[in-house]
Amino acid sequence: MFSRILIANRGEIALRVIRTAREMDIETVAVFSDWDARALHTRMAHIAVPLHGNLPSQSYLVTEKILAAAKQTGAEAIHPGYGFLSENANFARAVRDAGLVWIGPPPEAIEAMGDKIKSRRAMKAAGVPVVPGLVDPLDDAAAARKAAEGIGYPIALKAAAGGGGKGIRIVREAKEMESAFRTASGEAKSSFGDGRIYMERYLDKPRHIEVQLLFDHQGNGVHYGVRECSIQRRHQKLIEECPSVVIDDATRDKMGAVALKAGAAVGYQNAGTVEFLWSNGEFYFLEMNTRLQVEHPVTEMVTGTDLVREQIRVASGEKLGYGQDAVRWNGWAIEVRINAEDTANKFLPSTGTIHNLRMPGGPFVRLDLGMYRGMEVGVNYDPMLGKLIVWGRTRAEAIARMIRALQEMNVGGVRTSAPAALSVLEDARFKQGDFDTHFLESLNLDKENQELESIVAAAAAIFRHHKARRRALAPESGNREGWLDRSRRSLASHAQRSAEGPAPHQGGGA
Amino acid sequence: MKYYVSVNGRTRIVHLIERNNKLVVHVDDQPFDASYQEVDSLGQVVIIHDGKSYGLSMAGDPNQVEVTLAGHFYDVRIEDERERAAHAAERAGGRSNGLVISVMPGVVVDLMVKPGDRIEKGQALLILSAMKMQNEIGAPVAGIVKELHVAADQAVAAGAKLVTITPNPD
Repeated sequence: MFSRILIANRGEIALRVIRTAREMDIETVAVFSDWDARALHTRMAHIAVPLHGNLPSQSYLVTEKILAAAKQTGAEAIHPGYGFLSENANFARAVRDAGLVWIGPPPEAIEAMGDKIKSRRAMKAAGVPVVPGLVDPLDDAAAARKAAEGIGYPIALKAAAGGGGKGIRIVREAKEMESAFRTASGEAKSSFGDGRIYMERYLDKPRHIEVQLLFDHQGNGVHYGVRECSIQRRHQKLIEECPSVVIDDATRDKMGAVALKAGAAVGYQNAGTVEFLWSNGEFYFLEMNTRLQVEHPVTEMVTGTDLVREQIRVASGEKLGYGQDAVRWNGWAIEVRINAEDTANKFLPSTGTIHNLRMPGGPFVRLDLGMYRGMEVGVNYDPMLGKLIVWGRTRAEAIARMIRALQEMNVGGVRTSAPAALSVLEDARFKQGDFDTHFLESLNLDKENQELESIVAAAAAIFRHHKARRRALAPESGNREGWLDRSRRSLASHAQRSAEGPAPHQGGGA
Repeated sequence: MKYYVSVNGRTRIVHLIERNNKLVVHVDDQPFDASYQEVDSLGQVVIIHDGKSYGLSMAGDPNQVEVTLAGHFYDVRIEDERERAAHAAERAGGRSNGLVISVMPGVVVDLMVKPGDRIEKGQALLILSAMKMQNEIGAPVAGIVKELHVAADQAVAAGAKLVTITPNPD
């Protein structure tokens, strides 16, 4: 086993790895940017090495600086966390070439899964189900009708050059094909100057289901069951749970076996996640994330397994030492991401200084946080401040517990995604398990709780009154008290996050 | 002291009178019994009203307070009588000056309008990349683009001028 490892990351995930390493009696090396000199991960590690610079491109993404820090401190292995360099095959190679151990999958596996089109082809070849469809464009409506027979309705016609929903037509029956093809092609031509159309099966009410995998270096692999992450907005997940209301034990085992096949096809090692789209009882390969995921704690809570410990163990060369039979699932876990964003204002990032924290506690509540009182939330890094995770014996119990925990939590200084998550958890459809990946975008987050507005109005007025009076009595000292660094966020309705694919690197993961 | 407190767009009048060093509270002319305590100087307060306890978190400035209560968020605007009169005069004067400033540091990715363009309220003016996100900045008022203060690929600080719009006359 290692005696010292370096964590090439920041925020809650760096802390997450440090915690397990400390429990394993492994010394930890943190690296930090100038901005993060006071950060939790800098404080909690045994050794902290400055990378200097503020931007990720000057600090956490600079291979040479991180390898130099490892060399300088005598670290034997590097854990990349998620985001940043975690899915960078060249970095993984550089770590190995420097004589260090990479706590992650082989660079070849990262590359094989990194390209969406290539990975889908490889998965198809390995017998893993992908969304049925054609890669090549169609000639005309007649060709489309013929191809649709083989794929099965409903069909989505999509512009080959497309994006943003333009040029997409849903065709539910063969007789609709003629006119749908004509309008889709026309729209594609006028929008993108390219009328080529291809088709794939349209997935009604799709849900995001993923399978956690773990492989050792001896070729042994197990799956840790499924997580559901359908509560998302533009592919940014907000709420994750383990397991899923739509996946029974038999389906879980089937998906687990398919995911293991996908991993084995690329010679996978260490922890990874295979993401599927699930619709009407069928599931299709989406992509594989070749790293630990943000939402791994829900799996940990339900299986009683510390996945970071397993990562470190297998990376050091230990065998898994157990088979699939040893993996057991107990109860239900839910995670809510606490992002610095204004969900009432189109999820725009919110910045400021966190000056007022009240954290939840109590039974079966877990906090994986990177934030602390005094933390400045800027624009250089991912807006995720941390995660709140709860466990319950049943889904209903876990939901009630998460609602309770969110009600206990206050984050003052920046706006967070917590109120939006609370609105989801309180929604009857969510409680019944009736939702899909479009749920969050369709939810009215502005719905107001008028009952408590009188309390809020009175409290705010009294608060201001006291502040003003105190300031009048002590003008020198009272000036800044209370009114600290209000979050600088956008004026309502002036801006919107268009987020056509947020930048892939850094913290947020998926 | 009378405060006009707007919570999520609905305005209530909160009347505070100091009597024998105690605060007497009326909300919309109804007596409002409240024991108010500040937990710390950072914005944690507790109110006991009708025997029920409410722990609130406050942040903001004297005119705009952000309140969290039981996990839900409330956007609160406060005006005293003098401020209300001043703001009303401003609104009557149509003082939306059409200047769009950046609320956060970022980089201008794309400009979608040019001087002389006629624009609708809410129409996208430019895309600002900040915090890894592409943010579409919309027009606060309808009118004509008077001046662009930034160019594509330019880095801007928080508070920087982006676009000036000549608002349509009402």
